[in-house]
This record gives sequence, structure tokens and C-alpha cells, in this order.
Amino acid sequence: MKEWYDAIQEAQSVERLEEIRISVFGKKGVLAAEFVKMKKAPNEEKATIAKELNTHKANLMSEFTARKIVLQTQELQKAMQAEAIDVSLFSTNSQAGALHPVMETMDRIVEYFSSMNFAVKTGQIVEDDFNNFEALNLPKYHPARDMQDTFYFKDEMLLRTHTSPVQIRTMMNTKPPIRMIAPGAVFRRDYDLTHTPMFHQIEGLVVDDAGKVSFANLKFILEDFLKYMFGDVEVRFRPSFFPFTEPSAEVDISCVFCQGEGCRVCSKTGWLEVLGCGIVDPNVFEAVRYKDVSGYAFGLGVERFAMLIHHIGDLRSLFEGDIKLLEQFQ
Amino acid sequence: MIVTKSWLNEWIDLEGHSTEEIAKTFNAIGLEVDRVHTYSIPEKIVFGKVLECVKHPDADKLNICQVDIGTSTRQIVCGASNVRAGLDVVVATIGAVMPNGMQIKPVKLRGVESEGMICSASEIGLEDISQGIVELDSSIGAFHLGQEVRENPILNDDLIELELTANRGDCLSVRGVARDLSAAFNKPIKEYNYEDNDEKRGIGRILSLHSEKDLDVSVCYKALDLKDLKLPLIVKLRLAQINENRETDIESILLYTTHASGVILRAYSHQYFCEKEDDVMATVTLSENEDGYACVRGKSTASTIGVIQYDDSKLQESRGVVLLEASYVPPDIISKKMADHKIEAGPMFYKTSRGSEPELSGGLGYCIEFIAAHSASTTFGGNIKLSYNVKEKIVIINQQEIDEIIGASIDKGIISNILKNLGFDISKSSSENFIVQVPQFRHDIEHKQDIIEEIVRMVGIDNIPSKPLVLKEDNRLEDDYFTYKKRSVYRHRAAQSGFFESVHFVFDEKKTLNTYGFETTKEELELLNPIVQTLDTLRPTLLTGMLKAASNNVKNGYKSVKLFEIGSVFTPLREESSNMAFLFSGAIEPESLANSGKPQEVDFAAFVQKVSDVIGRIELREYTTQHTLSHPYQTAQVFMNNQAVGELFRVHPEVEKAYDLPTTFMCELDFSKIEYRLKTAQKSSKYQASFRDLSLIMPQDMSYQSVKDVIQKSATAELIRFYPVDKYSDESLGEHMSLSLRFVLQSEEKTLEEEEITKSMDTILDALKSELGIGLR
Repeated sequence: MKEWYDAIQEAQSVERLEEIRISVFGKKGVLAAEFVKMKKAPNEEKATIAKELNTHKANLMSEFTARKIVLQTQELQKAMQAEAIDVSLFSTNSQAGALHPVMETMDRIVEYFSSMNFAVKTGQIVEDDFNNFEALNLPKYHPARDMQDTFYFKDEMLLRTHTSPVQIRTMMNTKPPIRMIAPGAVFRRDYDLTHTPMFHQIEGLVVDDAGKVSFANLKFILEDFLKYMFGDVEVRFRPSFFPFTEPSAEVDISCVFCQGEGCRVCSKTGWLEVLGCGIVDPNVFEAVRYKDVSGYAFGLGVERFAMLIHHIGDLRSLFEGDIKLLEQFQ
Repeated sequence: MIVTKSWLNEWIDLEGHSTEEIAKTFNAIGLEVDRVHTYSIPEKIVFGKVLECVKHPDADKLNICQVDIGTSTRQIVCGASNVRAGLDVVVATIGAVMPNGMQIKPVKLRGVESEGMICSASEIGLEDISQGIVELDSSIGAFHLGQEVRENPILNDDLIELELTANRGDCLSVRGVARDLSAAFNKPIKEYNYEDNDEKRGIGRILSLHSEKDLDVSVCYKALDLKDLKLPLIVKLRLAQINENRETDIESILLYTTHASGVILRAYSHQYFCEKEDDVMATVTLSENEDGYACVRGKSTASTIGVIQYDDSKLQESRGVVLLEASYVPPDIISKKMADHKIEAGPMFYKTSRGSEPELSGGLGYCIEFIAAHSASTTFGGNIKLSYNVKEKIVIINQQEIDEIIGASIDKGIISNILKNLGFDISKSSSENFIVQVPQFRHDIEHKQDIIEEIVRMVGIDNIPSKPLVLKEDNRLEDDYFTYKKRSVYRHRAAQSGFFESVHFVFDEKKTLNTYGFETTKEELELLNPIVQTLDTLRPTLLTGMLKAASNNVKNGYKSVKLFEIGSVFTPLREESSNMAFLFSGAIEPESLANSGKPQEVDFAAFVQKVSDVIGRIELREYTTQHTLSHPYQTAQVFMNNQAVGELFRVHPEVEKAYDLPTTFMCELDFSKIEYRLKTAQKSSKYQASFRDLSLIMPQDMSYQSVKDVIQKSATAELIRFYPVDKYSDESLGEHMSLSLRFVLQSEEKTLEEEEITKSMDTILDALKSELGIGLR
């Protein structure tokens, strides 16, 4: 029997092993022959021989199985080796496109406020003087109209200079309470390094019964919102002036580039102005014929947010479908 | 608005307040700080006096000066044309390091020893005030020879530039800014009380004032006999600091005193208002001109109040009898007039339209005293004035109203103090209400909320605790939200499919659009004031903007350009709607091993597949576009659920050439027609589907659409899908081709038997034969 143990150990291929299996375990194999021989042995020896043969059978089988696994593994290994490739040849870039950083920023802002149950209102781009100016406490001779150089049409309509007219239209069409944001494109006649004739704003408005909506409420939501957008920043409110709110404030965050130390972007002040807000001016409520209400409003420029968040330097490149810029947002 | 610390200090005591603290306070009370600049004069620059000044023997332009610098006298060679004996000057002594880095050392200039430098303003880091060295005078305060110049608060000053909001005309003067600061610091403002001397000759002897009608203006006149006016250094310095200058000395002083006091001041020659040359009595007439502006008239119109002074009424020389005028016109009135009848305005209009200081005699007195102090003039006693009827503004507000708007409770005593410091009269208040009388200079205060704003900015917004709002919740996620969401979903899908999102202005060039056959905004509805000619109309399509962008990207070296955009477009009647557009130009994929560095160009099938990946199942039908951007033989109308939603085409070769583009495909869809709803699962059959292929022989010019229509019409219910899989033509087929279609058949009730399948297919074949005359190969 010994030679069969050796044969199994020495077998170098699965085919050879199969031959050995047939020679040992086959119907005409060695073991079968031994068992036939055993039948002729004296009865008292039969038990011993049978035991001995069965032990061999079991041992050979286990040797065989073990060897087979080894050989099969070796062969698979060889086969796989033959399929080897140089993976470093296949480094690649994503072939996905990308969302525009301004639109993506707008999405994030809308996401925050819609999850706070603010309605989304989009309104219209071509507006009239009443909704864009008059109702917002900006009569024709108001010096604040200088701040917004307007595109006019020949029939005295205009391109909205802010998304505030959406708030006026919403208030004219619905009763309070109101809780809304108005995201969208707005237009001013300005074209240089830091101004484009079209840009995007998001404005918010909350109105409820008189005495219910306070400046403290406005502070709460804007602080929370700015932390959602910019992470762990400090938020500062400065009193300011807008015709449609009173009291009004501008909101700064600690500079995201220098962490408030003072750098070129924040003009060494350590602060970046990001928002305007305030308590709705009573003249606005009067214009939409709301009585006994209170409310707050706020507004922000989406491009400014996008530029601060993504460290984009040139505003104009945002409107040229420039893949060099866009592919960075894949 | 620019102020300096020393200038402010003339109106409010800033002892103990650092510039940093002042700037921080400005921000906190709503006067936004734009810039802080410190004029820091280096050490070892001292006050000196030129004792002697002689010409350098070997240099025409140089002078040899003996200069007293307190501790000693030094010889300094100076090249300034205005150097002369007796002058008080600024001297950089040996060892001084100038702001430009130059170190002062003893030198020889053309053989003459020089120990120091007599300096000009810009050399010591101040604003440039004139050619030549600084000529010191008493206007900068007391100094002694040898004293370090950096100890002088007027020369070594801090500048703060404020960006004022449009409502704060009252802060367009140093005095006005000081007044706001006084409320924040709870410190009084210094007032200048001009005292008239009774013994003087009265102004009534030389001036009479008439008004032709009641006008909404106030004026006040004083007179002086101007003599030997010398423009003091402080005026030169400070006008340079506020980036202003005037041609004459008197104009400079008027500007200076207006910037300080906030009162609009003008000077006229007395003669201008006299009938004859030797007349003693001048007559100033106020009248309204044809546009409704109040004017000051003498020989002709001298000035339009609040707007401009005309040149021929200005002083020709800084001497003789001069009328000084202070004027005020309410800002809302003058702004409204300007909006209705625009006329030429002078540099002071900015101040008057935002609200200049209405308290005239104070500013006039301040100005006349300033002139008297720097000249040998004599003034006439008294003044002549005319005031319009000012309406008192009273706002009544109670504590609860204040607390509710702010959202915090503010102590009554604090409120009283703030209002008093800001110049509001609250003496008539009762225990329940604040009765606030608004001072005339606060043009911006009308409502309760204006008063609350004053309290908020003085208390400091940072001191108001944030509070969440309790609001009755309704479902506010309505139509516009879902439209926004839909945009967002499709934008994500487009980006995921390889397209970059572009955003273009909603403006485009009318000429280009019309050339390509697009209808633009009707002439009578067109933009009145476009920003540039290339953006002179509202876009009726997204396509042209994208072509331009693609062209730029190709110029930048991109071999494959995939763009999409969702944006507003406008009909000729300016109706706004939303379109979605795609562009695919050039290589279908990047160069890689897989394509041996030679990727194919995008083709019709690949582009359609890309678009469909984004928007879903589409059907294409032959189409001719209104515009001429499309290749006439590769243009389709796009259908979704049997509704036309837009067009898809290869770009016309001429257009590709015009934009320097490789093969380019575009698609533009009406975004409102693209579906956005939650999907409903259809019941699907449990039984196996069967496939059958048919190869049809049909004329090459027969459109597949007609085949498709016939199959759809004639098919039995078991046919669930069919699509072309192969197209073949060769010489033996002549003008025919073979089109192989794969049919998928399935029943909801059972596995289809062979006979049933054959029956279904036969029905289709019969229909094709009878209606189109085509059949199997």
C-alpha cells in the first residue's frame, strides 16, 4: 500500500490524481482486489484484515482529498496568473457631469428651509413697478432705488431686481400665517469683476398675528441656518437699513478663509457679510392690505454663498458654461 | 463718509476710547466701517523752524537752511520751492526711518553738509496735500520745536471710513456721526455756540431777503467783509483725507465746515445781488422756477436750493463783502423733484437728497467763526433767515409694542436714555406711553418700528437672545416646491449621465437669434436699456447660449463637451416658461486604451440614448424645426407618452462651422411637459415571454414610423414590445433594404403556444402587406 500513499503525494496534476483514484478506489482497483483476497483468508484473520484495509481506505481517501485541493488551488492560481493585468493603466476620471455650484448651493439652501416647512414660491422674472418697488416701500424718488439699477422694458415693465416681489404677490394672494422662501434669478444693470447683470437670490418671509413674530425669532433661524451652511462659524448682526424692513440688520459670519484672523477676502476685518434681514416694515403690510400682523424677512445672494463655500474667485466664469470650472464639482 | 478721530474729538470727548473700540461701536450701531487707516508718523521726526535760508552755491534748486530743532540748530539742504526763513516745518532728523524705508543719515549734497530732511506731507505718510514741504500753522494745535510730530493728534490721526445706508443723511457730517456715537457712549455732544457781537454793523444794512411764495426750504444768511484769508493746514490735511479738493480757499473752507457741521453752506459775492455796481443794499429773492425748484435769484439765478450753485454767482476772489448762505430742503421733497424733473446737480446734492442738517444758524456760525479765525475779516451782526413751516413728528409707542417686536424685554430707563441721547424729546411721555417727538434732522423716523430700530441698534443686536418661533404648522409644500423638486431631480439625473450644468443669462443677442430664425420679443415690449448689445433681448431658447459655451470649451481644448441647462425662456409676448436643453459635442468618450486613443464622435443613437437616460422613454418622429440651427435630415420631434415635448437634432454643418464645433447634437424640451410623479408598479405576467424576429424587405425611403404605426394598430394584445435590431442593404436588394425587428410576446394568463404566436405574427404581416405592401425577406 505504501507506494499508493507515495503516488498520491507525488501526483503533480489533477489528471494524474484522477488516474490514481481509479487505480486505488475503482472497481478494478487495488483496494477492491485486496478485499477479494481477504475473502479467501481464514475466518479468524478476516476481521483483522478487514479492519486494516478499511483504515487504509479511509487514510488514502483523506490523503487523496487533501492532495486534490492542493492541486486544484495550484491550477486555479496558475490560470489566474495568466490573466494578470497592469491595473495602473486603468486609473480614470469620473465620466459623470456635475451640477452648477450656484444651483447646487441654491438646492442646499432650499433644502434647509423646506425642511423647516417654508413654502417655496418662484414667481415671475418680468415684473411691474408696484410689486418690485412701490409695495416694498421704495417710491419712485426714494434714494434707495439708486442701489438697484434696473432693466426696464419699453412698456414700463421691468426685470425684477430682487426676489421680494414674489413675497408681495404671495401676500396679495394668501392670508397669513405665511412662511415662505423665494429662490430665483434677479437682474441689475451692473457688469464688472464682482457684478453680473443676472444673479440669484433667496428671500424668506414669515408673517403671523401682531405680536407673534419678533427680531429674536429672526435671529434664531438665521443663526441656525448659517451654521448649517458654513459649519462652526460665529454669527454677528449689525444694524442696517433696507426700505422694506425696520429694524433691519446685516449679518456677518466669521471669515471662512482665515477663521476670523483677517485676510484679503474679508478685507482684514475677520468678518464676511452674507445676509440682510429685518422686521417687515409697516408700509409693506399696508401696501398688501394686511392688518394686525407681524413678520420678519431676510434675503441673501446665492452666488456669494457659492463663492464662499467653494472658494470660487471669478463671478463671471459662473455664467459661461465653463467646463474647466464645472468639472471640479464632479 | 470719512471721519478721523481728532475731528470727531472736536464734537465729542473721546478720551479713553481706542480707535478699535470706536470702530466696533460704529458697526454695532449700524454705521458700517469700511476701512480704518492709521497715519503713523515715524519716530525722530520733529517740529522745527527755518532760521535762515540761502541758495546753494552750486545748485540752482537747492537751498541751505539753518533749522532750529529745539535741542540744536542743524544745517539742512532742501530742494522744495516753498522753503523760506521763518517757516515752521517738519524735520526728519538723523536716524529717522521714513515710511518708505529710507533712513536719514548725514550726507553731503553738492559739497554741502546736510543733517536731516525737511518733509512734505506724503514723505511722512500723510495724504498728499500739495507740492513742497509742509508749512505748519496754529490750526494743528500747539507744538514746540523739537517735539516729536507723532505726538500731535491731528497729524498722527486715525481715519475711519463709514459706509452709510441711504436713510442716514443725518450722519453725513462729523457732527452727525458724533451725535450717534454720543448715544452709544452715553456722553454729551459738544455744541458750538456762536455769539454775535451787538456792536457790529448789522446785516440788515446790506441785505434784504424776499420770497415770491411759500417754499419748502429754509435759508439763513450772514455777511462778512473778507480779508487776508489764509487756508489753514488743517483744512488742507482733512480735505485730502476725505478725498476732496476745491479750487479756491473759500470753497475749501465751505466744504470743510459743511463736512464738519452737516449744514449746506454757500458763499456769494454781495455785488451779485446788487442792482448797480456801487449799491450798498443787495436783494436776495427766493422764487420757484418752471420745474418747481426753489431758486436763489440776484442778477440771474444764483443757485437752485439743495441742488447746485451756478458759476457766475461764486466768489471771483477771496476778499470783499461776502454773503454766506446756509440752506435746507427736506430730502423727500428734493428727491421727488429730481425724480420728476432731472436737472444738473452739484456735489452737495448727495447730502441734500439724503437729508442735510436743518439747524442752520449753528452751522453758519461755526463757519463764520472759522473764517474769522483764519483771516482778518470783519463780520456783520445778526442774520437774515426764512424758514418753512416744519410739521412736528410725534410717534406714540408703549413698552409692550417695543418688547413684542424685539422679542425681549428692554428696561424702560434704558429706552428713555437711548432716545434722549439720540436727540428725541420724550418729556411729554406718560406712564403707559412713550410720546416721542422726532428731531427734524432724523428724516428717516416715521413709524413705531423706526423708534424700535433706534432702541435695537443702541441696545446691540448681540444682546437680544435668539428665540425659536412658535407657528401653527400647515403643510406648506405646494406646487412650486414640487416644481423645484422636479428640477432638482432631473438636474441630478443629467449630471449623473455625464452632462455639466450650465447657467446662462436670460439675455441674448437679438441679431443672432433672428439670423437663426428664432422669434424674439416684440419690438414694443423689448428691453429699454440693455447692458450690452450682445445681450439686448430676452432669450426665446437655451440653444444659442449653449452653442457659445460649447464653442468656448472646444477652444479651451475640450474634445468632448456635454452640457445641460434648465432655465427660463420667453415668447415674443414675454411669457415666461421653463425649458431643458442638452448639448453633446465631439468625442463620445475620453481617449483611452479601450478605444486606442481614438474615440468615435457622438452619433444620433448615442445622443438619443443619453437624453433618454435622463428624461425617460422617448419616441422620435420626423420633424422640421422653426429655426435653422438643425441638420434638416437629422431632426426629430420628441414625444413622451404621445405628447410632443420638444426637438432633438444634429447641429447644421454650417452652424458647426460658425461655432468651430465638431459633430454636435442638441435637444430642447418644454420642461413643464416632462413628467414628474411617483411611479405606479404595473402588474407583470408570471408567464414566460416569447421572442420572434422578422426581417422585412422595404423600400429604403420608407420611414420606420409608418411600419411602426401599422404594427401598433394591428397587433394583438399579446405583443408587448417590438424594436429594430438590424438594418441591411446590398446590391441584390436594389432600392430596398432589410429591416429586422424583434417582437416580444407575452400573455398574462398562460405561456403562449407556438400557434398563438404565429397567429399574432401573421396578423401583423397581413396588415403590413395590405397597408404598406411590404413583407418578409
